Amino acid sequence: MTTLRPILSALRRHKIAALLIVLEIALAFAIVSNALYIVVGRLQRIDLPSGIDEPGLVLLQLATAGAGRGTVASAQADLAALRAIPGVESATAINSLPLSHSQWGLIYALHPMRTFSGGVQAPVYFGGPDLLKTLGVRMLQGMSFPPSAYRDLTPQNAFKIFVAARQALITQAYAKRLWPHANAVGKIMYMGETPVQVIGVVSNIIKPYISANAHDPGNYYAVFSPFRAAPDLNAWYALRCRPAVCPRVLKAAAGKLQAMHPTETLNAQESFMHMRQRYFRNDRAMAWLLAGTVLALLAVTAVGIVGLASFWVQQRTRQIGVRRALGARRVDILRYFQTENFLLATAGIALGCAAAIGINVWLMAHYAVPRLPILYLPIGAVALWTLGQFAVLGPALRAARVPPTVAMRAA
Amino acid sequence: MLDMRNVSKIYRTTTVETHALRDFSLDVREGEFVAVTGPSGSGKTTFLTIAGLLEELTHGEYVLDGVDVHGLDDNQRSRLRNEKIGFIFQAFNLIPDLNVLDNVEVPLHYRRGIGAAERRRRATQALERVGLSARVRHYPAELSGGQQQRVAIARALAGSPRLLLADEPTGNLDTAMARGVMDLIEELHREGATVVMVTHDPDLAARAERNVHIVDGMASGIIEEPSMRPAVRAQGEGAFRIPGAED
Ligand SMILES: Nc1ncnc2c1ncn2[C@@H]1O[C@H](COP(=O)(O)OP(=O)(O)OP(=O)(O)O)[C@@H](O)[C@H]1O
Ligand SMILES: [Mg+2]
Repeated sequence: MTTLRPILSALRRHKIAALLIVLEIALAFAIVSNALYIVVGRLQRIDLPSGIDEPGLVLLQLATAGAGRGTVASAQADLAALRAIPGVESATAINSLPLSHSQWGLIYALHPMRTFSGGVQAPVYFGGPDLLKTLGVRMLQGMSFPPSAYRDLTPQNAFKIFVAARQALITQAYAKRLWPHANAVGKIMYMGETPVQVIGVVSNIIKPYISANAHDPGNYYAVFSPFRAAPDLNAWYALRCRPAVCPRVLKAAAGKLQAMHPTETLNAQESFMHMRQRYFRNDRAMAWLLAGTVLALLAVTAVGIVGLASFWVQQRTRQIGVRRALGARRVDILRYFQTENFLLATAGIALGCAAAIGINVWLMAHYAVPRLPILYLPIGAVALWTLGQFAVLGPALRAARVPPTVAMRAA
Repeated sequence: MLDMRNVSKIYRTTTVETHALRDFSLDVREGEFVAVTGPSGSGKTTFLTIAGLLEELTHGEYVLDGVDVHGLDDNQRSRLRNEKIGFIFQAFNLIPDLNVLDNVEVPLHYRRGIGAAERRRRATQALERVGLSARVRHYPAELSGGQQQRVAIARALAGSPRLLLADEPTGNLDTAMARGVMDLIEELHREGATVVMVTHDPDLAARAERNVHIVDGMASGIIEEPSMRPAVRAQGEGAFRIPGAED
């Protein structure tokens, strides 16, 4: 039987070494729990659904060398040509794309506003009548814009036209944000002092630029407006095709655009999946980096525990022999060292909890890291307890093998 | 109490075989005080490690307090050590990280069915017995050698063992402290303890009831004070029998 008190009093006689290992465990615990949380957050971001039917969507962007060379009229001609490519099911221009990093943001509020404070920001998507179908966004309630509602948006008239639009579609997430308890269809929201009527609610679509917090519902706020977009305003062409033929379609589309605009260049030609990959590249890298750091830190901690335990086992060889002579079984010796490690780990974890919360508060203040969920503390605790038990096992087994004759024969 | 018959112990290393005990027989009865003497390297400590179940014998038979130890596994031997034997070492072997009271409690931690209060009670009693009640909070390093050995004796007593095994218990002490420790061991014997003590010192050996002399791993003779206690017997090569000393 191992009772804690004598183990504790023996530890008290080795304060410095015990304190160092406790601090190491505390530090590991604090960093590991925070890092783990960030890693999980990043992985959750990477896994966020876009709300788009991703596999069959390819994108092209024409860089026009000056205003007036990529007009709405020329965009209509481009789209007609693109639709003619075998395998293209639908095509649209679009002002900005989910996960593309660049967005048109607007602020809407429930009441007329003189300033834009107090509203809820949302990216605006527009492009033409085929937009929803091409992206794979579904109408949930209400209806879409009638064909007659669409206006051309150009660099010259953008602001005026924008302010003149009186109808909008909004995503489910945005609807819920503005009218948590009521049906949004038919409601009025205000862009400044301009009233805009919500005529329909669509399925969620992710923002061009999302927050660090994967669970932020704002990631799915969006407003759709009835404008036709054009390359002059950095619009994209988005084509829907069967996934199997998409690579061929993309190539053909690029060739066709180059043929139609020999003096312009293609800014981008890629699948949406590829764009998504690019968007989360940093998250993936960060997750790997932090996971690597966590592993390295755990390894260093384990090495520290093994080192100290080995040292103590060696230092106590004689008293282990004496304990054996006095009736300790091998398993009693094993348990002694395991219990000792458990006590050290527990002290480290307790201290580490405070440090973990401290680090998190600091991260919240300086980076866009949300509050550490309490769940990560028990996860970290179990991780370090387990690590400690595994690390101490080797030295403890060595201790258990010390023969009782050591007590009689000077080592 | 302790019955060894034809015991031999061979230490094998890759190059040499050491016959540390050869055909060694000894019977110690309950309440006896036996001193084991012999030159350095003759096998005295080896005898104690086997008697104390710290090591297994190579050949022969050993019955400890009615238990044939042959074939016992490590856990059973540990348990038997814990219940039946009190060790007193030349180097005291107190645990430096524990205070006097905790040291005396150590063997009680390894015994089933003894709670914290009972441990405390027995340890306190044992320390009273050796006259160290005032030092329970001291650490070994804060005690004289004689005091440390008294604590070690208290530790050996705490578990109420059937047999006390002492290896040169005064070997690390100066004359005055040695006398004190020796007096204590004698007192314990008078109170009924069975004691087997290894010593170099003929004067100390003379204080036992019976001497077993080991030479080269064999019990080579018995130096005996028959007046004190006739009922002793030792067997083995070179041992001779005391007339009238049969059971
Ligand atoms: N673990 C071992 N391996 C090999 N040989 C050993 C071992 N232990 C003891 N011996 C040998 O066994 C013999 C008896 O040793 P033991 O320690 O029993 O002698 P001793 O009578 O106690 O001597 P001393 O009076 O010096 O303490 C010695 O020759 C010793 O070298
Ligand atoms: Mg010896």
